[in-house]
Amino acid sequence: MSAATTAGKEAYLGIDIGSISTKGVVIDEGAHIIARSYLWTEGDPAGAAKRVAAELAGQLEDADVRIVGAGTTGSARRLVGAMIGATVVKNEITAHAVGTTYLHPEVRTILEIGGQDSKIICVEDGIATDYAMNTLCAAGTGSFLSSQAARLGVEVEEFGKIALTSHKPANIAARCTVFAESDLVHKIQVGYAREDIIAGLCRAVASNYLNNVGKGKRICAPIVFQGGVSKNEGVVHSFEELLGQEVLVDPDGHLMGAFGSALLALKAGPVEAGEDGPFATGAFDFQAVQDFAFKTREVECAKCPNHCEIICVYRDKDIIDSWGNRCEKGAIKHT
Amino acid sequence: MLKDFRIRTGAVIADGAQAFRGTSDKEQKKRFKRDRHKTKKVAVFRYAYYAPAFKYFAEQVLDCDYLALPQATRRTMELGIQHSADDVCTPFKHMMGDWIEALEGGADVLVQVGGPCRLGFYGEMQEEILRSLGYDFTMLNFSHGIEQGYVGWAKEVMKTVNPDINVPHGVKQLLACGSMMTKLDEARDLYMANAGFETERGSYRRAWEALLDAFSLCQTPKEIDIAFGSFMDRARSIKLDKPEHPIRIGIIGEMYTAIDMASNLDLDEKLMAMGVEVHRMLNFTNRYTRYNEPNLRRSISDYVAFDMGPTTTLTVAAAKRYAEEGFDGLVHAKCAGCTPEIDAIPVIRRVAEDYKIPVLYLTYDTETSDTGLMTRLEAFYDMLAMKKEASLR
Repeated sequence: MSAATTAGKEAYLGIDIGSISTKGVVIDEGAHIIARSYLWTEGDPAGAAKRVAAELAGQLEDADVRIVGAGTTGSARRLVGAMIGATVVKNEITAHAVGTTYLHPEVRTILEIGGQDSKIICVEDGIATDYAMNTLCAAGTGSFLSSQAARLGVEVEEFGKIALTSHKPANIAARCTVFAESDLVHKIQVGYAREDIIAGLCRAVASNYLNNVGKGKRICAPIVFQGGVSKNEGVVHSFEELLGQEVLVDPDGHLMGAFGSALLALKAGPVEAGEDGPFATGAFDFQAVQDFAFKTREVECAKCPNHCEIICVYRDKDIIDSWGNRCEKGAIKHT
Repeated sequence: MLKDFRIRTGAVIADGAQAFRGTSDKEQKKRFKRDRHKTKKVAVFRYAYYAPAFKYFAEQVLDCDYLALPQATRRTMELGIQHSADDVCTPFKHMMGDWIEALEGGADVLVQVGGPCRLGFYGEMQEEILRSLGYDFTMLNFSHGIEQGYVGWAKEVMKTVNPDINVPHGVKQLLACGSMMTKLDEARDLYMANAGFETERGSYRRAWEALLDAFSLCQTPKEIDIAFGSFMDRARSIKLDKPEHPIRIGIIGEMYTAIDMASNLDLDEKLMAMGVEVHRMLNFTNRYTRYNEPNLRRSISDYVAFDMGPTTTLTVAAAKRYAEEGFDGLVHAKCAGCTPEIDAIPVIRRVAEDYKIPVLYLTYDTETSDTGLMTRLEAFYDMLAMKKEASLR
């Protein structure tokens, strides 16, 4: 596909780079998803973004589109935003709210559990009215489930199916990951059935979420559950049991952050042609992203005892972005 | 060295010169004023924007030298964490860092103003810890003597720091110091309401910093009035580009964290930078000079029946008033382990539900990251902005 031509329908790219997984979508002007990608970040957000871009480019091989804008979200939004020359770099809460309320205008509550964070968004008339995010503790998030899956020798993707076979879920202390883990080890050693333990874990994730993140929030139907953990049927089932209401899981639920940031990019309109970078020609060049070498370096500012850690992002040899300085003294010039 | 000597003996030389002008011994004795000034260096912990008032208190009321602390850095925090119990509330840790840096900087007297909650007990604990670390100093603890009223407090001040304070003059200057704090609050209120909309970025900040500088140089009540007047003139002439319906957020919460910028990671500045009109009823003026808890509680009698502690009445009253005035959102800021404000949260939830006003709850500890805070504030702002856009349509 030659992205640099002016022909083709306009499309927008959205990438959500989380701590565990990286998601990417391409939407057309009518906000329909025309390409999607979901893969593990594997501790290398820049590399993951490149792989997502390659996968999306592959799916768009035959489509006559050119990408005229891009948005990023997730914890590596700033880094990847600088990499791909994103027009919109937004936090994941906004991106999720925007994406979900577009697809489900009637939604009242959005439950979201990702790799390292979880949040709840309350919606009224299609507008987010309240939200909360886990603060001090990552208990009950995706990475907790992954590490417990490894302990039990099960693929985390299998968790949900196994959990649903249990008739009597084990009671696992849910208030804290550390307690949950020691309780879990205890129950394994006492000889509980594996499916009961797994079902108990799923239930612990759901009740922990409702007790911590959902504390004090009014959870009204329709409820949409999304984020990587929403792919786990066991957790979905536990939520339905605990809430006594149906919980909706969108097949694209795990892509909602990426979809939201693509929507925000669509709202912002086409990017203006820059001098360099992937948007140099006015349309996103998938190949350029692959060809550039991106590097992040940390510099410790020595100009005061704050010792700010300044993150510098390089494209080949040029600094394209830097952040982390608390004052002007630590500002680094970039192109 | 020589210069230093001259300054110190300046007063004596001047008096001596007068003595040579042919005055009698009796007259000389009458005119010779006792030097009430003590060269002790007084330090107060870092707290919000009140440093100029603390300086005024040290120099004009206590009649001592003031030791100004530079901006807090990560080192301050590390010192504080190192010498505090892990589960003590965060302000304690900030103060410990401040005290150690003050003592390293040559402070002789540390002023612990105490406070309406556990803060009132912190003076003794901090003194203990610092002494066990081997530091030598005097601590002026406002929790001492105050049980016998202002007279008891004044006696304590004179006994521990400067017995030669001219009492009527000291009282006059203490009132002036209070008036400076009130004026700082008033200036800050104006700043927070408008700085998000200035056409030239940084104008308000410059005016505000000029006010702090001017207040730091004040020696008399009149000078305070003049400095404040010129700030108000300057602030009012700053050009604003304020929309008809700006996003308004009220900051509520605990006395230390909700105000102190080093503790709340510049919460108010961050909101202003997004273009928000920021209000914060909680300040020295509203909590001390004009605080009438029973009457304030009347306004929230539907929610609160008794005084729950240091700032909870003010927190809930502010939440309700902002909600009634149609604010777009509230930010509740407290430190980890602040029991009174934890008590206030369920009440704020009820207010929020009744008035349908979103609240962002923030708990700060020494590990709170700037990035995490920014994500939450941005999301909160986006949410309020989208809501506002939809309601105005």
